[in-house]
Amino acid sequence: MSKDIFVFIECKEGSIRKTSFELLSKGKELAEKLSSELYAVLLGFDTKSLIDEIKPFAHKILSVDTELLKDYRWDTYTDAMEYLIKKYSPYLVLGASTITGKDLFPRLAARLDAPIVSDAIGIEVTDGEIKIKKPIYGGKIISWVTTQNTPISIVTFRPNSFSIVKGDTAAEVIDERLEISMDSRINTNRIDKGGSKKVDLQEADFIICGGRGMKGPENFNILEEIAEILGGRVGASRAVVDSKWRDYEDQVGKSGKTVSPKLYIGCGVSGALHHTMGMDTSKVIVAVNKDPNALIFQYADYGIVDDLFNILPALKDGLKNLKQEA
Amino acid sequence: MNILVFIKQVADTEARILIKGDNRSLEIENKYNLNFFDEFAVEEAIRFKGKVKDSKISVCTYGGKKAVEALRTAIAMGADQAYLIDNTDLDTDDPLITAKILAGFAKKEGFDLILCGRQAIDDENGNIGAMVAEFLKIPHVTAITKLDVVDEKKIIVENDIEGGKETKEVQLPALLTTQKGINEPRVPLITGVMKAMKANIPVIDPVTLGLAKESLDRNASKIKILSYETPKGRPPVKIIDGETPEEKVKKLIKLLREEAKVL
Repeated sequence: MSKDIFVFIECKEGSIRKTSFELLSKGKELAEKLSSELYAVLLGFDTKSLIDEIKPFAHKILSVDTELLKDYRWDTYTDAMEYLIKKYSPYLVLGASTITGKDLFPRLAARLDAPIVSDAIGIEVTDGEIKIKKPIYGGKIISWVTTQNTPISIVTFRPNSFSIVKGDTAAEVIDERLEISMDSRINTNRIDKGGSKKVDLQEADFIICGGRGMKGPENFNILEEIAEILGGRVGASRAVVDSKWRDYEDQVGKSGKTVSPKLYIGCGVSGALHHTMGMDTSKVIVAVNKDPNALIFQYADYGIVDDLFNILPALKDGLKNLKQEA
Repeated sequence: MNILVFIKQVADTEARILIKGDNRSLEIENKYNLNFFDEFAVEEAIRFKGKVKDSKISVCTYGGKKAVEALRTAIAMGADQAYLIDNTDLDTDDPLITAKILAGFAKKEGFDLILCGRQAIDDENGNIGAMVAEFLKIPHVTAITKLDVVDEKKIIVENDIEGGKETKEVQLPALLTTQKGINEPRVPLITGVMKAMKANIPVIDPVTLGLAKESLDRNASKIKILSYETPKGRPPVKIIDGETPEEKVKKLIKLLREEAKVL
């Protein structure tokens, strides 16, 4: 039986998301171990220019290019994925646990009666067994999971779970044409992208997060400036969002987003369990808080005990100088 | 109209969770709640009922006998009826099984609208909603932040998409999963709590929902837990000292560059 791997490529604003390259990198490594082929699956409209970017990362590219797939919808995308999966019978389907992934993959799994492990952070394949690493209970426990009674498994991963390794393959491109139609029971009235050119919070390599210690919404400007210097994003604690200082889409934590950036800096964040559950898989955590007993110091690699309104301007200048030197 | 709300009882965020000696099972402190995101679903059902006359809200869970507490919370908030599909000895880690059972219940009970939270905060999967919708062959919308009624056959919903929001018209019957922000779940009134305490909650045997027992147990599961482990803790925090804020920041940037190598 085939041990081929599918990676679902996600696009945003006409470009391929970073998380898809992470999955391609991991997928390639697994495919080499299994002596199988890695297929990049690209659904969309007018995607010719994107194909070259994927070529070095995969063995084959399955491309379905049609206007019907211009914007993501679960109905058209599930139909297209079902068709491709039935045609090529992959062993493993990898996707991202993004808003799109969380909408598409459970529907697809049910359609195929295939097991799904969601929001994983690691995967190993040994002796024909897939071992998937997945945090549960807000990261208090790590579970190792496998699948059984099935020829195919679907796994979705948190963005920033794998590093990107550019390959040297020149993937063969296979254009697939198929009949798809939109489900008439759903009509999109309006898509509001909010004009956001900001880096996706879950994909950001750098997050600077403000807590109640920021004292008010106006003080977030300096966090925005620091985030911009490092090409990152501003996050917020639940207290901040509940006080309406920041939008819910910025919320990091159990009831918000789970993030794992390379560098997380918490400013005036107390470190309630609710919050740390959403960020404790970050690679490096820095905490700035004037209370030396703040819980967040238990989760941090580096800490500064000081008034953040003294620290932030110095941090902004320090990082600005650093970037100018580089 | 028949409104179904699927809920889950989950361990409280603050509950202590320990891995048992076999590394394959967990010991969870006895602190359980109605799942955070399901509270929004119950609340939205109550608001929907306020807009469409002759509506009835039935809440249902596939869980152990203890999960009846979460069902009573939903009744205390304002749901009309609750059902426990008893999973004693059939506890599963496979969302496909749970979704098939809930879809079986929906078919038997009849429905115009199904609501549930966008994910459970224990396993953090978020699979059940879209799966149930697929098994019932109805449309779904995940993570809705607004629900408006057009008429008895049509609703308008707003939901999160990558980097923004989308508004769509959806024909009923449909399944919607609720996101934080859609409403402020009410705190039950004492009269609601009294009603909930007295409510008769039927217990349903899952095999009466059109699924064979062999297709529901651990052997049928397509997901298998191999082991649990505690996450690797971080080394103790390095507190950066210095005379001035500038000095502290300078030291921090140096450490982030040279030691942590993230800048």
